[in-house]
Amino acid sequence: MTLLVAAGLRGGYDGRDVVHGVDLEVRERTCTAILGPNGAGKSTLLRLLAGVLPSTGGTVELLGRPLASWRRREIARTLALVPQQVQLAFPLTVREVVEQGRAPHLGPWRPPGPHDHEAVATALTRVGLAGAGGRPVQRLSGGERQRVLLARALATEARLLLLDEPAAGLDVRHQLAFVETLRELQADGVASVVVLHDWNLALQLADQVLVLRGGSSYASGTPAAVLTETLFRQVFGVEVEIVRPTTGAPVIVARRQA
Amino acid sequence: MSGRADAGLVVVLLAALAGGLLLGGPGASPGQALSVLTGQGDADATAAVLGVRLPRLVLALAVGAALALAGAALQSLLANPLADPFLLGISGGGAAAATLAFAALPAAAIGLVPAAAMLGAAASTGLVWWMARGPLGPSPTRMLLAGVAVNAATSAVILAILALAPSPRLAGALAITMGSFAAATPEAAWWLAPYVAAPLLVLLYHGRDLGLLALGEESAAGLGVEVAIVRRRVFLAAAALCGGAVAFAGVIGFVGLITPHLCRLVWGYSPRRLFPRTALAGAALTALGDLAARSLLAPAELPVGVVTAVIGVPFFVALLRRSP
Repeated sequence: MTLLVAAGLRGGYDGRDVVHGVDLEVRERTCTAILGPNGAGKSTLLRLLAGVLPSTGGTVELLGRPLASWRRREIARTLALVPQQVQLAFPLTVREVVEQGRAPHLGPWRPPGPHDHEAVATALTRVGLAGAGGRPVQRLSGGERQRVLLARALATEARLLLLDEPAAGLDVRHQLAFVETLRELQADGVASVVVLHDWNLALQLADQVLVLRGGSSYASGTPAAVLTETLFRQVFGVEVEIVRPTTGAPVIVARRQA
Repeated sequence: MSGRADAGLVVVLLAALAGGLLLGGPGASPGQALSVLTGQGDADATAAVLGVRLPRLVLALAVGAALALAGAALQSLLANPLADPFLLGISGGGAAAATLAFAALPAAAIGLVPAAAMLGAAASTGLVWWMARGPLGPSPTRMLLAGVAVNAATSAVILAILALAPSPRLAGALAITMGSFAAATPEAAWWLAPYVAAPLLVLLYHGRDLGLLALGEESAAGLGVEVAIVRRRVFLAAAALCGGAVAFAGVIGFVGLITPHLCRLVWGYSPRRLFPRTALAGAALTALGDLAARSLLAPAELPVGVVTAVIGVPFFVALLRRSP
């Protein structure tokens, strides 16, 4: 089943487009990796897909309906955006932040019920922060904050996760845990679109890859078909060696600037 | 914890009520005031307690609630712990418009002063927000600097009006800039009630949204908040609260800054828990502040704005030094 379709999607900031006509289709139980050099428009594309940044052209359809016809709260129950960071001006606790994920289900008046508490507890457990609910988020490290934001997205129980560099601040153990979590979610039917800088993580995780350059789609398809030595030279300006071991996924090793 | 804290709040509120009626100001000793409250006071004491102290107390409670609530809402909306109607120039905008209306309107139209104050408060809110809006959204620093600019401009307007106003109107105009409950009447307290009650409902309705906005606008939009609509309504509610407060009691600083922070320490972050308690705590603090203003140098009386500033400035400095 197709969850999200973007066609000719354009948008940016202050009247200047950063994303120039991107096409993307996301099906359930899949993981899509968005790759590209700094400034290629990856985060902007995620914002456009989530509808938090209005598009200037093209269309996004969520579950077959134009995104513009959805109420924001309905969108938030269906897809969850995990930003790289949020403003932390106040000393909120981990639990208070994760509980925010239930807001789309509660509306203005209804207090959280047993299912809401359960969803929060499950999300905290999934990211390995089950015992940390009372800690102030301001005092956490960058990687821990990323896990809090992932837990907040999981608490929404959305079918589609849009993650902006979720693994950037994670240590190796938590990167592996993150891969594991995403696979479990996938088995539960959740799809994800993940902006990544780590090509090897993309190879491990992704069913399809979208490579952006200068705000446009440069290549898309399966990781094996898209991630070639030529692409890395042309898009990232680096010479890479793709090592294909007899077992397991290939490994991309950057050698030098092209 | 929460139950005991709520009980503490009720005790402070009762202390403010008792203090406001029994102490402070001429006309009735505490004992005489007590007899008035039990229905046995003489005429002079009754006039002092029910005619002077009671309206003053009710007005102080309502203004305190309004300012504290406006501060709490603005801090969440702008994701800025330093937001306060006074520091952001919102009270200043209200005061400039109210002073202008007071000096320029014919006596029959003096009832329009609150409306003018509210318009001024709304205009300066919009102006501060527009000035603070950078490419990455309104940053706390830009917001405070914009507040400085608006405060400077409104002070200039007020000074010009005071210099040019016809003398019979001067005292009233001056009272607006100083912040005082000395001119409280029973009518003023009634007039202010809708300016507190209606925004309180709006803010409670958007309480959950405001909680989400405290982590930034994009984060809130991602969780289903219609940011543009909520922002407009909350700004209008805050402008109504500040405009109403300024129109009836003048500019009183720092209540909107201090109260929400103190309440957050006790009741945590959730706006739906925080807002009603912040309103009550602001009411109690302002009433106690007014009691201090009446009593400290009695029989002379300080403007209550002086008392709140004496408490508020060190608090503000402490917050500023802790902020990133």
